[in-house]
Amino acid sequence: MKKATFPDILSTAILLYCFWLLITGQLVSLCKGDPNVQVLIYGVVISLGVAVFSSRFFIHESPFYLYNPVKWVMMLVYVVCVFCIELIKANLDVAFRALNPALPVHPGIVKVPVDLKSEYGQSMLANSITLTPGTITMDIAEENGQTYYYIHWINVTTQDHKAAGDAIKGRLEKGVGRIWK
Amino acid sequence: MALLYVVYVLIGLSVFFALAGVVGMLRMPDAFCRMQSSTNIATLGVLGVIIGGIIYAFAFLHNGEMGVKLIVLGVFYVVTVPISGHAIAKGAYHHGVRPEKDMVCDQYGEDLEK
Repeated sequence: MKKATFPDILSTAILLYCFWLLITGQLVSLCKGDPNVQVLIYGVVISLGVAVFSSRFFIHESPFYLYNPVKWVMMLVYVVCVFCIELIKANLDVAFRALNPALPVHPGIVKVPVDLKSEYGQSMLANSITLTPGTITMDIAEENGQTYYYIHWINVTTQDHKAAGDAIKGRLEKGVGRIWK
Repeated sequence: MALLYVVYVLIGLSVFFALAGVVGMLRMPDAFCRMQSSTNIATLGVLGVIIGGIIYAFAFLHNGEMGVKLIVLGVFYVVTVPISGHAIAKGAYHHGVRPEKDMVCDQYGEDLEK
């Protein structure tokens, strides 16, 4: 386990403080112009205190990588344009499979190569795949420098690693690749 | 008023997906396929209600605090649900749960035996 440096703690604390503002409802009060100063100061103390203990679990790479408005736009584009469309398509597909009297399922576990290098990018892609109905990421393994996901797939159309990967994560991986390396 | 119908349609759609998910959970042949169907409820089934709630809170209740909390709820929901799904699937597989109906292929099991 690496030691927490000051930039790690600061970047974690800023993120925690943003959530503090959202959850205590102070963000709305700030916009209206009558914030509760006591609550704001408690937030600074608590988020710094929590960050000192938790930043070494939270920050594994460059701490201020995501404090970049270009990345936020990329993430919004990914969530709204790429991920939502895939999510709705997959939801309709699985819903009609479940309601179909013939129950057309061909389940199987396929191994899929992934080209993302960043740990955050890999976990974001794995989470996106799991959130899409019809596919669940079961494990991540590394072989000869290439990362592989094991994915339970409800409708196996091909057992070839590459072709299965294109069918499952084709557009998702490109979208995540624009945010993380 | 047109916005109110958008809220109704969103909530109605999420009810449809939740129903389809429950039917799928009862009908699917094995544990892993049932989990796939439950993702149906967990995504559009819940997100439809949350997005409908956000629009309702901002446009009709004029309650910004409630709307912001619903947004945070949606974000946390999307971040945490896949982690539990992944943990359940992996745990079930390692515990020895295998589908009764044969799977088309099982490349995970093949690699675990190596």
